[in-house]
Order: sequence, then C-alpha cells, then structure tokens
Amino acid sequence: MVTPLGTGVDKNWSALCEGKSGIGPITRFDASSLRCRIAGEVKDFHARDFVEEKFAKRFDPFIQYAMAASEMAMEDAGLKPGQYDRSRIGVVIGTACGANVYFENAHRLVLQGDLRKVPPFFLLNDSGNMVSAVVAIRFGARGPNHCPMEACAAGANAIGLGLRLIQQGEADMVIAGGSDAGITPTCIASLDNLGALTTKRNNEPEKASRPFDADRDGFVTSEGSGIVVLENLETALRREARIYGEVVGYASNCDAYHYTSPTPDGEGQAECMSLALKDAEIRPEEVDYINAHGTSTLINDIAETKAIKKVFGDHTKKLAISSNKSMTGHMWGASGAAEVIFSLLTIRDGIIPPTINYETPDPECDLDYVPNKARKVMVDTVISNSFGFGGVNATLVLRKFEGA
Amino acid sequence: MDVFELVKKAICKVEPGLDESKIVPAALLKEDLDLDSLDRVELALSLEDELGLYLQDEEMGDIITVGDVVALIESKLKVEKRS
Repeated sequence: MVTPLGTGVDKNWSALCEGKSGIGPITRFDASSLRCRIAGEVKDFHARDFVEEKFAKRFDPFIQYAMAASEMAMEDAGLKPGQYDRSRIGVVIGTACGANVYFENAHRLVLQGDLRKVPPFFLLNDSGNMVSAVVAIRFGARGPNHCPMEACAAGANAIGLGLRLIQQGEADMVIAGGSDAGITPTCIASLDNLGALTTKRNNEPEKASRPFDADRDGFVTSEGSGIVVLENLETALRREARIYGEVVGYASNCDAYHYTSPTPDGEGQAECMSLALKDAEIRPEEVDYINAHGTSTLINDIAETKAIKKVFGDHTKKLAISSNKSMTGHMWGASGAAEVIFSLLTIRDGIIPPTINYETPDPECDLDYVPNKARKVMVDTVISNSFGFGGVNATLVLRKFEGA
Repeated sequence: MDVFELVKKAICKVEPGLDESKIVPAALLKEDLDLDSLDRVELALSLEDELGLYLQDEEMGDIITVGDVVALIESKLKVEKRS
C-alpha cells in the first residue's frame, strides 16, 4: 500500500497504531486562494523503486501507486510470475477519478496551442481501466480485468467484485483494490467550492481530519493505493499461503437520493450493511468492530452513526468503531481498499487503531469511536464501510481465518 | 549540427536508463534498444519538438536502425534548407 503515512504496510500500520496524522500543507500547487490548503500528500514514494523509469514517465501517479502497491501485495502473497496459472488470476482495481495529474498537464498544452506536444499516452492514462491493464501486463494476469470507477467506494467495490469472481469460479486469485491521486488544482478547487473540505485548520493540518468530533468541518483529500491479493481458499491452502483473514460477505447498493449527500437517516447505508451481513450469513451480534467510512464531514458521520444504530440495535453499544481517515485523510477510491488491509491487521494483531482528534463529543454521534488511543482487544469479525458520491455504498465483512 | 548526437539524446529521453554506449548507428531500434511502436512515436515527437520538423508516420515506418533515424532527419533538414 501507498498512503500519506508511508509506502508499505508496516510503516502504515505502526503510524496508524501510534495515532499519527499524514496530513500537511498542499505543496503540489499554489493553493493559497483556496479555503482548504491542506491535504494528505504521498511523500516517501519513489516510482523507480517499483517500476522502470520509462513507465514512471508515461503513467499518472494513480497508476504508479497501484503498480507499486500491487508489487508489494504480490510479494507479500509469495506469488512470483510462473508460480500461478495466468488464466486464473484476475485484476480489479477501482478509482474515483483516474489520471487527473496527467490530464491537467496535457490540457495545459492544449490551452497553449501545443497540440502536437500532447503525449501519445494521454488517452491511455485517461481511460481509467489502464490501471488494471498495466497490473495485468506486469503479472501476466490473463483472467477477468475490471476497473470500477465508483467514487469513494471504488476500492471496496473492487474487492467485493473480486470476491464474486472467485465465488463464481471465474478466477482463483484476484489482485484487487483501489488507487487515486487527486491532489491537483482542478480536483481540490472543485471540492473546495463544493464545500466538502475542511477549512478551519489550515494552520494545524494534522488536526483537520476529525471524524465524529463535534467540531469537524469537512474531509481532507489525500491520495494513495491499497491492493490485496484475494484467493480461493483451496488454492491458498494448497500452496500454504499466509492468510490474513477471510472476506466472508459483501454488498453494494445506491442511495438513489442525492449527488453528494447520503440519505439523512442513513437508510441506504444501513441497508448496505444489512445486506453484507446477510451475505456473510452472520448475525449483527457477531461483529466486534466497524472500520467506519468516517470522513469527518458533518453529514456523513451522523448518517453513518444512524445507519449503524439501525442495523445493530442493542449491540451498537458493544461495538468499537473507528475511522482510519482521521490519520490517512480521504484517499477516495484507495480508502476502502486500504481500510480492508487495516481491518485485517486489526484481526491479526488484536489492535484497533484510534479515531484521532476526537475532542468534543457530538450528541448526534454518540458511539464508541475508539478516541485518540489504539485499543488492544481480540477482534474476530470486522465490517468495513465505504460510501461514495452518487450515493454508492459498499460494505465488506472480514473474519479471522480459523483453519479449514 | 551533429544529428547523431541529437538522435542519441532523444532516444535517451524516451528510454531512460538505457546504456548510452549501445546507441550506435547500426543499432536496431527494436531488438537492440528495446524501443516498441509507442516508443517510436515518442521518439518522433521528441525530435519534432527539438528540430521544429514534422515527421510523417510513413517516414518513420521504414526506420529500423539508429542510422536510419539520422539519415531521415538529415534529409528532412536538407529539404528544409533548400526550401
């Protein structure tokens, strides 16, 4: 994985457990005229550690992040080209916005009248699916290949779709996740003008993302990629693969209500969570922890809280809930996938990362959000929520693997 | 103007990390320098940008070696000078 907290899972996990923020001032462009001038920029990433220089030059950062995260995931899974059946491995990598850095650079040339200088690779980058294609080329993955462009639920839906491909027998393994690199003038200005971003804490950026806190005022854009390798249990056992956990349930749906706002009572999100529990064939009482979408916007955090109460009833007060976005910021399509990785590490290590910057309780968000300090506790079953613009929702249910 | 040096520079730009000593007039673009069809497009655009020329696809189509690229550029420059 690649996030503002670092490149690689270990760096991320220790930062997350220590409650460190990856948010800082925007350095990629002059943001001085915007109300929000902070973001979670990926800082320690060197494309050349993972891909040829030629590749790095040709492809947008969102594709580079995904390539790097896929390399790390495949290495961790112990899968080297030649050691798997190429026709049985698929790739599903989602993105919210695709190649914005590349797009804006190329468009600048058009505005200058330099049409002949527009890179021949522009359209390849601009077709979001190139992210799944280049990963498939790298690993010779000739199975199903998809790129869901599904806003901030893209990464979670990619993992869900990967799960379905395996369940339906179309693939034995799927490289799945999400990637986004949207810290560009157009993207940030658009969200700033939309009023979705935090504006109050430009001078203390690490405090700006504060999900469920009463003084939250919008989300913080960040960037990165999270990629996992999903695998059919049979093949995983046969090759004695390290198993982090089981994806036991998944659901997606749409609020069909508004472009940016969730249903105020969280109805669509509640239904999504219920469907995912049903798919997993488990009762709400079996869930220990919710890795929340928790964006730190006024409306999301209330709607998500209401939705959780609706689904979990009396069990709600026993649930631990936290938002990784308090530290990573909102990596859009990469978030859901990164949060699945974090959820699996929670199961592995028995540590729930905190929701940092939680200072003042909001009467409308009155649950246990694991404030400010990581919690050591055994966790068997986690649900991970991702909700996106357009009202698209995705919930994944993850469980400790207890052996076949 | 040393056209060979210009071509060499352009090839390095397209294929960063390439061992420069491999770029000799007889070197085959595909087999020796690992330039695929998309690399050739980038090479053409880079040379156009550098020299203010327009290289047509069919002209680039006959190119096999580094020497061919040099010869093509030299002939184009000559034509330009005459006109």
